[in-house]
Amino acid sequence: MIQLFKYRLLQNVRDVSMMFWALAFPLLLGTFYSLAFGNMGNNAAGDGTWSEIPVGIVNVSENQPFEAFLDGLDGDLIKGKVYDDEGAAKKALNNQKIKGYFVIDNNLALKLSGNGLEESILANLLNTYEKNASLAMKVATEKPQQLETFLESLGDYQSFTKNASLGGRTLDPMINYFFALLAYACLCGAFLGTRSTFDSQANLSALGARRCISPTHKLKLIFIDLTTLVLIQFVNMLILTAYLILFLKIDLGDNIPLLLFIELMGTILSISIGIAIGSIARLSQGIKIGITVAVSLFPAFLAGLMFGDIRNIIEVHAPLVNRLNPAAVLADAFYCLGVYNDQTRLTRNLIILGVMAALLLTVAFLSIRREDYDSI
Amino acid sequence: MVHIENLVKRYGDLLALDHLNLDIKEGEIFGLLGPNGSGKTTALNCLLALLRYDKGRITVFGKDMTPDSYELKQGIGVIPQNVAVFDQMSVYENIDYFCGLYVSDKKKRRALVEEALKFVELGDYQKMRPKKLSGGLLRRLNIACGIVHKPKLIIMDEPTVAVDPQSRNNILEGIKRLNENGSTIIYTSHYMEEVEQICTRIAIIDKGQVLATGSTEELKAMIKTGETIRIENLVLTEEHLADMRELPHVYRLDYQEQTLVVRLSSAKHNLVRFLNYLQAKDIPFGRVLSELPTLNDVFLEITGKELRD
Repeated sequence: MIQLFKYRLLQNVRDVSMMFWALAFPLLLGTFYSLAFGNMGNNAAGDGTWSEIPVGIVNVSENQPFEAFLDGLDGDLIKGKVYDDEGAAKKALNNQKIKGYFVIDNNLALKLSGNGLEESILANLLNTYEKNASLAMKVATEKPQQLETFLESLGDYQSFTKNASLGGRTLDPMINYFFALLAYACLCGAFLGTRSTFDSQANLSALGARRCISPTHKLKLIFIDLTTLVLIQFVNMLILTAYLILFLKIDLGDNIPLLLFIELMGTILSISIGIAIGSIARLSQGIKIGITVAVSLFPAFLAGLMFGDIRNIIEVHAPLVNRLNPAAVLADAFYCLGVYNDQTRLTRNLIILGVMAALLLTVAFLSIRREDYDSI
Repeated sequence: MVHIENLVKRYGDLLALDHLNLDIKEGEIFGLLGPNGSGKTTALNCLLALLRYDKGRITVFGKDMTPDSYELKQGIGVIPQNVAVFDQMSVYENIDYFCGLYVSDKKKRRALVEEALKFVELGDYQKMRPKKLSGGLLRRLNIACGIVHKPKLIIMDEPTVAVDPQSRNNILEGIKRLNENGSTIIYTSHYMEEVEQICTRIAIIDKGQVLATGSTEELKAMIKTGETIRIENLVLTEEHLADMRELPHVYRLDYQEQTLVVRLSSAKHNLVRFLNYLQAKDIPFGRVLSELPTLNDVFLEITGKELRD
């Protein structure tokens, strides 16, 4: 039995095309995501390594409130440098040493080098200050007794620039792409399942027939096949997870054992889907692989693999689709675990996954257990 | 050793096996000869309990053959028509894997694999993957995977299809040696020369029925043809053909594209009589061949069509 297990393992691992879909493609996709928007997400959430925005300050005339406002942000959101005149600031701007500079005169002015994220933040800061200053003036003239309270509330300005999820987890909006990627990677096990049926069913290949006419019990062969496939795909998931966490520095949450358990359920689910597809006797191998591509990619698309918000849109308009879509259930389970910390929702997802896995495993087992055929 | 009784198999409206009967004795190389689509492979798949059949009974080693006859399967080796090996594993690994389906003891298995490698002369290629092997070597690997566990009954389904002549001879010699070593062999082919060369008994099968069974000599004795004369490059008129049909022992005469093929019952001086006639009529001719009856003649006479049709 160990010998049969060893050779089945070798045979599957050496199948380059299947391993590409089951392992290499998700790794490539993860790398691509990380390059495309991994850091952008971190910065947007304030969870990543934030570098202060270099900004110049040119004092033409005195404006204590604004200077105090900038002082409050200095070292946190911005890194201010005072220039003697606007010419020096302009030179620093042209040399890209600063992203913009404030000119403090009777009227406040901001000069920017472009229109990126950091420039937008600087523009917003000035805008916010001017609104608050105007409001403070109004409060001081109309309700002077409330001025102190109002100014205290302004002091809390920074408190909402940084936030944390329940349980102190990441709020990176791009993390959903990685959860969808994990869900997709789980479903990619279907390729291994589909491919394996080609070698195990007498009505699908001569190789399948050769195995079927051997004295080794069919149930034993099925057990070896299933164990091998689940092991390979789970190791693929471990590699992907380790790659995301350790190499790409993606924060998938703190509860890694439970994350791996969900991945294991997803693996069993996808292998079963693949076996069920592979056992459809009337279709050619090419068509079956095509179906497997569709069955792994389309649910993953609906779970947010290519368009992050689609799962939320579906949740609003057709929540049942999200309950029945294995990729959406998996992605949501990862989300609950890594971000939302909603035990009820997580439990619901785990139950759905368990039922799906059991159901599909039964279908897969029934479709490959037969030992004689109507036609070959 | 193998007994097939009134086997009926239908694919929808198509009757693939029509009350097929076969009896294969221990120690035989039993040939199943028939054109493509005659039901040979279907019969073998039923025998191996891979295909459900509509009617009939199959026994192997005296016991009913069913999908869960694991004990019987232990004594059977199969060499399928299409090469059935894993592309991702080496020659040695493939043979070892298929041996492992029959033999669990590691030491015993290693000895059997070495023996099989030696038998098919693939020792030098044992680390190579199947895709690197030539067609002939691949066929030999296919055979090694089927015989490695030393089965008592070996079923070979057209093992020489698409194989070069040299490899084909190697394979046929190997089959003879397997038989000499004690294995009973069922061999299907639509190459009559192969069947004639190695089989001790033959069943001619067409449209799912056994038309005749016997040794090569017995089958040839069943038909009228004792000799076939072929004369090439000659121009004949209807009058000439009518004259020739009247010559003694002629029972079938075909003239196409300046080639005359005459089938005659067994008798002396048939060829001399024909050559005398052509000389008398001053008809020039090219190559002349006189052939003893073949299994194709047997098939032609029984079914009215060529085996290769």
